[in-house]
Amino acid sequence: MVNLTIDDKQVTVPKDATIYDAAKAAGIRIPILCHDKKLHPFGGCRMCLVEVEQMKGRQIPACTTPVTEGMIVRTSTPDIIQARKMVLELLLLKHPIDCPVCDAAGDCDLQNLTYEYKVNANRFTDEKFQHKIDYENPLIERDMNRCIHCGKCARICDEIVSYGAYSFLNRGLEAKIGTEFDGPLNCEFCGSCVSVCPVGALLSRPFKFKARWWALSKTKTVCSYCGTGCQLTLGIKDGKVLTTIYDENQGFHNGQLCTRGRWGYQFVNSDKRLTTPLIRKNGKLVQASWEEALSAVKERLFSAKTAGGESAACLVTPRLTNEELFVLKKLFNVALGSQNIDHSAGYAHNALSAGALESLGYAASPSTIADIQKTNLLLVVKSDAYETHPVLGFEINLGVKRKGVDLRVVSDKRGKLSRLPDATTYVHKPGSEVLLFNAMARVIIGENLVDAGASSISGLAELKNSLQGYAPEKVAEACGMSADEIIVLARDYAKAEKALIMLPLGLGYPGHGKDLAQALINLALLTGKIGKEGCGVLIMGEKNNSQGAVDMGVYPAKGGKDAVAILDGCAAGTVKTLYVVGENPVVSYPNRKAVEAALDKVEFLIVQDLFLTETAEKAHVVLPACSFAEKDGTFTSVGKVIQRVNRAIAPVGLSRSDFEILNALYAACANTQPYADVAAVFAEISENVPAYKGISYAGLGENGVIWPAGGTPRFVPAEGGAVQGESGKYALLTGSALNHCGTLSRFGEGPMYVCPAGYAELSYTDASALKVKNDDLLTLKSASGEVRLKAKVSARMPQGVIFAPYHFGEESVNTLTTGAPVTWVNVSK
Amino acid sequence: MEQVLFRHNKPGRPVTFAEYQAEGGFAALKKGLKELSPLEVQQAVIDSGLRGRGGAGFPTGKKWSFVPRDLPGPRYLICNCDEMEPGTYKDRVLLEANPYSLVEGMILAGYAIGCEHAFIFIRRGYETAAMNLRRAIGEAREAGFLGRNILGSGFSMELDLHVSAGRYICGEETALMNALEGKRANPRSKPPFPAVKGLWGRPTVVNNVETLANVPSIITNGPAWFKGLAGIPEAAGMKLFCISGHVRNTVCVELPLGMTLGEIIDGPCGGMLQGKKFKACIPGGASTPFFTAEHWGVPMDFDAVAKAGSRLGTGGIVVFPENTCMVAATLNLTTFFARESCGWCTPCREGLPYVREILTRIEAGGGETEDVEILREHVKYLNYAFCALAPGAMGPVEGLLRLFEDEIREHVVKKRCPFKN
Repeated sequence: MVNLTIDDKQVTVPKDATIYDAAKAAGIRIPILCHDKKLHPFGGCRMCLVEVEQMKGRQIPACTTPVTEGMIVRTSTPDIIQARKMVLELLLLKHPIDCPVCDAAGDCDLQNLTYEYKVNANRFTDEKFQHKIDYENPLIERDMNRCIHCGKCARICDEIVSYGAYSFLNRGLEAKIGTEFDGPLNCEFCGSCVSVCPVGALLSRPFKFKARWWALSKTKTVCSYCGTGCQLTLGIKDGKVLTTIYDENQGFHNGQLCTRGRWGYQFVNSDKRLTTPLIRKNGKLVQASWEEALSAVKERLFSAKTAGGESAACLVTPRLTNEELFVLKKLFNVALGSQNIDHSAGYAHNALSAGALESLGYAASPSTIADIQKTNLLLVVKSDAYETHPVLGFEINLGVKRKGVDLRVVSDKRGKLSRLPDATTYVHKPGSEVLLFNAMARVIIGENLVDAGASSISGLAELKNSLQGYAPEKVAEACGMSADEIIVLARDYAKAEKALIMLPLGLGYPGHGKDLAQALINLALLTGKIGKEGCGVLIMGEKNNSQGAVDMGVYPAKGGKDAVAILDGCAAGTVKTLYVVGENPVVSYPNRKAVEAALDKVEFLIVQDLFLTETAEKAHVVLPACSFAEKDGTFTSVGKVIQRVNRAIAPVGLSRSDFEILNALYAACANTQPYADVAAVFAEISENVPAYKGISYAGLGENGVIWPAGGTPRFVPAEGGAVQGESGKYALLTGSALNHCGTLSRFGEGPMYVCPAGYAELSYTDASALKVKNDDLLTLKSASGEVRLKAKVSARMPQGVIFAPYHFGEESVNTLTTGAPVTWVNVSK
Repeated sequence: MEQVLFRHNKPGRPVTFAEYQAEGGFAALKKGLKELSPLEVQQAVIDSGLRGRGGAGFPTGKKWSFVPRDLPGPRYLICNCDEMEPGTYKDRVLLEANPYSLVEGMILAGYAIGCEHAFIFIRRGYETAAMNLRRAIGEAREAGFLGRNILGSGFSMELDLHVSAGRYICGEETALMNALEGKRANPRSKPPFPAVKGLWGRPTVVNNVETLANVPSIITNGPAWFKGLAGIPEAAGMKLFCISGHVRNTVCVELPLGMTLGEIIDGPCGGMLQGKKFKACIPGGASTPFFTAEHWGVPMDFDAVAKAGSRLGTGGIVVFPENTCMVAATLNLTTFFARESCGWCTPCREGLPYVREILTRIEAGGGETEDVEILREHVKYLNYAFCALAPGAMGPVEGLLRLFEDEIREHVVKKRCPFKN
């Protein structure tokens, strides 16, 4: 610790603190333009100049100067104020004074400081620049005339996003922030640059001319896309969500968001929202009143209940709040007597609900997000971890670049993570993950790298036995990696003091199930890497409340039907009433033809959703539900974090929150009083769900609570076989596109601009063999169907492997898949 | 007059490796590596009083002593040969005549700081110098003066030549390191200083060509000899002065530190051209405040020049005759600096072009009385820029305001340049 004096205040700060940090700790505000706590100090704007007595009163920047013992600092002498005024005057030489039409007005650091320092008449005058404004994309407007060269956009894009879309060009007064070849912006469009821009040089176009900053009301909540659990601040005016507001103090991610988090809010006030219930009459869905719709639903549910409940089934999305899921489960299990309830087609939660539960004794990750930056070696299963959970991708970037984390990506294709400094990517054959990780376990055992504590974990002998057939030399060919690579990876993993494994889940990743999770947990248990900081396995649920859905037990137990069985039941006529809440199985579940046939067959289909999805179009009754912005409740995200979701606006149209609908149905079917509010449900959850014991709704606070995991781990052998290729066919891999999450993000204009439709990504070698180039239409044909997708030729795909995102309804890839980890397809032009 | 750096010069051609050796070259290297410890080499340089010849005049041995010795991992030595200060061309003259003193000096410096890889960062335009250096490095390597286990001493060092893409800011040591790393040549914030965290985050020493080329003679002849070379007791060693402008002979000469300005102009330069009167000069490169006739007797040494209100800088003297418009002269210099600002920090990026604008206005007869105060403010506050470029650029402006305020006011009052018809 270092002691210093700032403006006569005694301050004690860690020795790596800067004068700016120290002043902040002492509650002394130093003005800044180019400094951002998330980024390396820059020192360019010269607003934070302070005087240090030991440096003969010379003015030095507070943001870059480290503290030293006994330093005596002054932050606002008349001379400093004059210097700051001068900086502002110089900046205003070129900065246009177009505040009345600038969207940043009210949220502009330059404007605020000019006001604060009373620079009411600039003594300096000069011509302004006439840079062309970049209107080329619908998300980010770049007006370099307003730029004050703080470099934050270039720095955040490089340091945190690791994309590098911006760079300084030219020198002197001509210096400016430029893009690749000074052309239009072409990037991930995460908007991090917009969030940190201190002026109006980078603007959100969807928000442009929508509202002045001071007219917005703000609500803090949690993002409703992936399972990362990023906190959001929504900007609201006239009952509409107009933007997301950057708050650098929010969440583990310091307000950092991805494309869909930042721009995807548009689905909330989309014109496509359902605003009234719909009922099928004469084969057509027509508008109906809530009374009419609910009574039709109740009637079906009552008759199912009378028949014993088994004829009713439910498919629900893990996008609902914990409270809604809990009430829904009670509606089926208790009120109707049906165990037929499942989500995410089963395999997007299997790794947790079956894998982790059996191996660890609890259905969750043993690790938390904070472990990513605390580990020494990070083993990421599939480069897709960046696409599924982009903000966790930023955490990986930071870990690798700032903390020297040794990144190993084990993947069936390369990806953005592969390009990080010193990252090693092991590209294996599709579907061979379990084989590979079992081989690593065998190496660890064979080379006596097993942690001493592992012998006290039950099942070690069985595990050893089960691994007989997984010698690296034997599986190398099937994995597509050399035995040496497998051995070295196993040794490095075992010998790393701290190592963390990251496994993304999702509807697009049918191979990421029970066995894969268990093979990974075995590795961690063998090497003593569970239950320690910076260690373990982080299983990343796909949706905002994937972990919560598992916690609430929204998967079949005690002989209930899982998703596949439910759909089979619909087709066979044993399931007569299907209640689909927020799911869109027609697009997201494998084997579209079979799903559609089942839904066409079922006697009564209730769909509760925000939009008239492909699934809702088949319904008998459609109930309009609310988005996350219209709800209170809780989500549980990756790493078991329970966070509060706060209602920002009133329900759109006549829509009702899932909680309101389900609460009413539950009360009616169970013939009991409805819950008073979500807090009452949460109270019941904390009584009934052991992991949530002792946690109260009010006690969750701003940053939520991590529920404590505890269980008895054991080794469970994981089965992994070689995936047999089919000659002349390509291996089709499905998964997430960077900008999308499930099928919901299709209703946000931002994600749809960046990635408007499905595509088939293939290697240059395959492209030249097939004689296709970008955007040519490819026909992909599997045993179950055929689709036509635009080709996207990329360097990251191995030969013979094709990747297609699963989010899109038209030419949807689930026409081709049947739930196997790899689908073999014929490809033609 | 005794010559140290120019001792080996041959008329019209560079000295050869054989000639340099025959004239006692590389004797210092042998003595240093075989008879002296690294610390003794460093101590000799400290005792010699050698100060950096690149402009700032920081004691060379002291700079070396900041390098942590016990830290595991590489240390780097960089020779700054990005000579771009207007009016300065001494390093080019030196290297075009003799690249070996630099190579030898770098090996000795590398030995002193425990450097395993050294770089020469050379200005793009210096093609002949680069060619000489390339040859010299090759010859030194062949002779066993570079590479593994030099002269059986156990000390190993590699030396590489890097040709700069060319920018004034590359001469700033931290921007130079960024450029060498392949990044945009922006300066870095100090602290950490290069001696602690420099090239690729490792301890690094950056020295000027002339500084390093002086090291062999110090090792051969001893620190006391070197100190004694200077013309006044407060100074140490010889200095290359490169004189341009309105003198009869525009030459680069090696002179003892401490000779007065008048002695230099009247001596080696052969006096003023066309018998004109001396009005002013830049004493040490474009970033130093002017000297006038009143400074005729100032000894040209670091401290004496500083005491007289300017800086010895690089020793690049530019002489202006009686009918020079000092506003125009300053504008010329400011135009250079405004163009060469990297654009990183506000005062430099915005302030220098604005000073240029004001001076342009004044020179064109459109100046206002307030402009003098605004210039004064810039001189003061541009000192607080990110690196030394803006403060350096303000050197001549400061000189202009201090010595030639009347001339500025005359422009403003007459609404034209009084030196133009």
